[in-house]
Formats: sequence, C-alpha cells, structure tokens
Amino acid sequence: MLIFAVITIEVLLMIYPISWVIRTYIPVVVIGSYFISIIIEYIQKKKFYNNLLDTINELEEKYLINELIKEPSFSEGKILKKTLNEIDKSMLENVNKYKHFQEEYKEYIELWIHEIKIPIAASKMVIENNKNQVTKSIDEELDKVENYIEQALYYARSNTLEKDYYIRKCKIKDFVNESVKRNKNAFIQERIKVNIHDVEREVSTDSKWIIFILNQIIQNSIKYMKKGENKEIEIYSEQGKEKVILYIKDNGVGIKEEEISRVFEKGFTGTNGRISNKKSTGIGLYLCKKLCDKLGISIKLDSEENEGTIVRIIFPRSSYINFE
Amino acid sequence: MQEILIVEDDEKLRNELEIFLSKNGYNAKSLKNFENTKEDILKQKADLVLLDINLPNIDGEYILKEIRKVSEVPIIIITSRDNEIDELLSINYGADHYITKPFNIQILLAKIATLLKRANNAGISQEKIDCKDFVLNMSKSTLEKDDKEIELTKNEFRILKQLVQNRGKIVSREEIMESLWDNESFIDDNTLTVNITRLRNKMEELGLKELIETKRGQGYILKRRGE
Repeated sequence: MLIFAVITIEVLLMIYPISWVIRTYIPVVVIGSYFISIIIEYIQKKKFYNNLLDTINELEEKYLINELIKEPSFSEGKILKKTLNEIDKSMLENVNKYKHFQEEYKEYIELWIHEIKIPIAASKMVIENNKNQVTKSIDEELDKVENYIEQALYYARSNTLEKDYYIRKCKIKDFVNESVKRNKNAFIQERIKVNIHDVEREVSTDSKWIIFILNQIIQNSIKYMKKGENKEIEIYSEQGKEKVILYIKDNGVGIKEEEISRVFEKGFTGTNGRISNKKSTGIGLYLCKKLCDKLGISIKLDSEENEGTIVRIIFPRSSYINFE
Repeated sequence: MQEILIVEDDEKLRNELEIFLSKNGYNAKSLKNFENTKEDILKQKADLVLLDINLPNIDGEYILKEIRKVSEVPIIIITSRDNEIDELLSINYGADHYITKPFNIQILLAKIATLLKRANNAGISQEKIDCKDFVLNMSKSTLEKDDKEIELTKNEFRILKQLVQNRGKIVSREEIMESLWDNESFIDDNTLTVNITRLRNKMEELGLKELIETKRGQGYILKRRGE
C-alpha cells in the first residue's frame, strides 16, 4: 500500500517540472512519517497490552480486569474493551441467576427443615405418651434423623454469602452443657463419663452455631469410643495469650497419623469411618471447619491412634474482648 | 389445677401435648381455630400459654406483642425456627421462654414449672411436698420428718423427688440419670450408686429405713410405709 502511494505521487509529480530534490524529498517524507506513525502506534499498543497482561497476572479476581484498564486510544483496543464490557455484563447476569437459584434453594431448605420438624416433634410427643421398648427404639432413630436434618440446615447456611449468624456474648458453660444434654441418651447408654471443668468463661459467638459444632465433635467422640470400661470425654477451657481455647478430649480409638491432616476435608471418612457399623458421611467435621471459618474462630485436631483425640476450638481475642 | 393453653396449629402435636400435660397434672386446653387468636387467648385466662410463633395467616410476633400490652401471662414460644435472631426478637417482644421443635419434653416441663412457680409465687406456693411419712421442703432442699430436718444435696433431692412423684412404681436407673442430666448434673453410673447410698443413709438417720428398695436389673422403687 505504501509503495502504491509513493508511485502515485511520483507519477503525479512527473507532470510538473520540479527539481529532483523535491521529487525525492516528498516520498521520503511520506515514507518517513508513515514509519514514525507505525512506531508511535506500536509503542502505544505495546504499552496497552503489556499493562493489560501485567494487570491480569497480578489480579486475583481476574474478572475485574475491565474496570482496571484505561480506555485505549486505538481502534482494536476500543473493540477489545467494548467486548470485555459485554462479556462482563452477560457473565454478571449469569452469576446473578445462579446466586438467585442458590438463595432460593437455601430458602427452600430452611422452609423444608422447619416443616419437617413439626412431624418429628409430633412423633416425639406420641412416643412420650406411649413409652415402651418399641417407642424408645423409634425415639433413638428419630434422634438420628434429627441430627441429619440439622446437618443439612447448617450445610445450607454455610454456603451462603450473607451473614447468617448473630454474635453475642455467651457463657462457655451454657453451650457446652446444652450440647452435652443433647447427647445424654448416647452418653448414658454407652456408659461414657463426662467431665466438664473450667468452663466459667465468656466468649462472643453465635451460640446456636457453636452448639451445632460442639454437637458434631461430641458425636464423633461417642461414635469412635473404644470398647470396654473407662470411656470418658473431658471438656474444659483455658485462657491463652490473646485467645480462649476450648478443649474436647476423648480417650477413644484415635485417628491414624497420616489421616489427621485430612479430617476436615469434605467426604473424608478415613479408616475409622469405613468400619462397617460406623457409617461416617465425612460431612460433620467438614461443616465444623467451614462454620468456624465463617465465625472467625479456628478449630484444630490432634490425635494418637489407640489413645484418643483432642479437638481445640480457639476463640481469638476479638471474639471475647469487651468493647465497652 | 393450673391451666395451660396450647396455641399450635398442628393438630397431632396439639393433641399429644394436651395428653402429655394432662398426665403431668395440668389442665391443658387448646385453641382449635385461629381466627381471633389474640382475643381467644385472652378470653381463656390461662395460667400459662404455649404459643406457636408460625400460625397460619397470622404473625405470631404480632400476637405476642398485642398480648403483652394487656396481660402478663407467662408465654413460652414453641417454634421450628432455630436461630439466634428469632429467639432474641421473641424475648424482646415479651416471651418468657423460647423452645424449638422438636423439643425435649422434660425441659419443657421444667420450664413450665419454673414459670408457673414464679408467676404464682408472691410468697405462697407449694413449697413443701407432703409425702405422708416425710415432707420434702422444696425451697430449702431438705427432708423433714416430725421436727427433725436433714439437708440433701442437689442430686439427692432430685432423685428423691423423682421417686416421690412415681411412688409405688419402679423408676429405672436410666430414667433417674436422664432427669439428672436434663438438670445439667452429668453424673455417671457409679456416682448414681453413691448418691443413692448417701440418700438412703440420710433417710435412715430420720428413721426412714428401707423405704427405697432396689429392684435388681430394673431400678428403684419408693415404697409406702407398711408395704
């Protein structure tokens, strides 16, 4: 194209009697300015695309790229920016659609759970009014049903983006007692001793959530007790530096060393969970971890095979500090 | 007999609650339709109300607030909504207790008893249970016979009270333990044996010998004198 333009100019110039100096000067200027403009454009584009690549590499949420690049001055850049804009918009619509689906689903689960609790409550009342060996056995099964339902509820709650909990000051003693009471049947039947001490401390948390978490841990301890005598669960708290630690310690079968790091993984059942009559789902501890993360507390597990397991729930300073 | 009004739309749950509360010595009544719920509740003049917060077509919280404007009747909210915020709201609107379904029935009973006691209690109330051979003093947690009196620990008192309430019937060790656990005394089997022994010794001191009989493999029974 450049050569064609120069030849055209040369042909036109041939008509007029102009000195060869000018005749060479004009095409040189044309060719020169052409190259200069190419170089300028190259520099502009290089700057733009380098900036684009650097930004996207640094960016954690890459979908935000469009917000962070300047409107380019050249046309391909403008097209790119416009395309990104459109992609963003349609992606956002899509994401919102799924957010909405999920929100709706969660609402349905919550509603369903409230609904199903009514027939369970009614069944439990029938059992209470007709106590015998058969109904007692049904009652035990209902307790299991209740526990699965509870897990589903908290699973739904753990997946939402918005805040679904309410933090206030709670006495450790209150929520520990409540979660132990919930498991009284198992404790009494299995003859497991409960030793609660040093729980006269306060932390700020959501008591319902923490009761659910403790409940899962206690149920695991009960489930994986050793056979025989001296079964015991010990629950106590300690004031640490900038934190309060709640310990749930059992002398059960413990966990294999190589499996400890995986106990909070979703669906992880481990050797213990696969023993035929235990039927672990691998959801309990996974949920505990997830809920703890949301509440801003940490949960740690140590164990020795055949010795027992200790779970530590660590409430950081911010969760028990007094803001008055 | 103290009257408890059940406001619950699930028919089966309502009926079973009625049966259960009647068995436990209350005059239980319930609302069957929910058109003028607030007025109906107030008309009943019950001693205590069990109120389901999710009634059909009505806002339970509204009813709660409205009742509180004119009446101080003890109200226990029963609900299947299990979260902290709903609970706090209900308490703020004037509910005395908040119990989630499915509820531990013993805890419900205990809460009812406490509330009724508090409501009736301008000093006079059933502070003593007369058991013919002896008297249980609820406020002092003591056992009285003639002019003698002996102090019981919290556990001993609860055990004896449970035996008294089921007098003439066998109460299993498990039942005793369960009721102690409901009251947050998490004792084990051995501790129960110790508690029973101590209770027997204390009763013996008052001349109430061999009143608690062990039924092997079944539990304990509080005999009537002369049986």
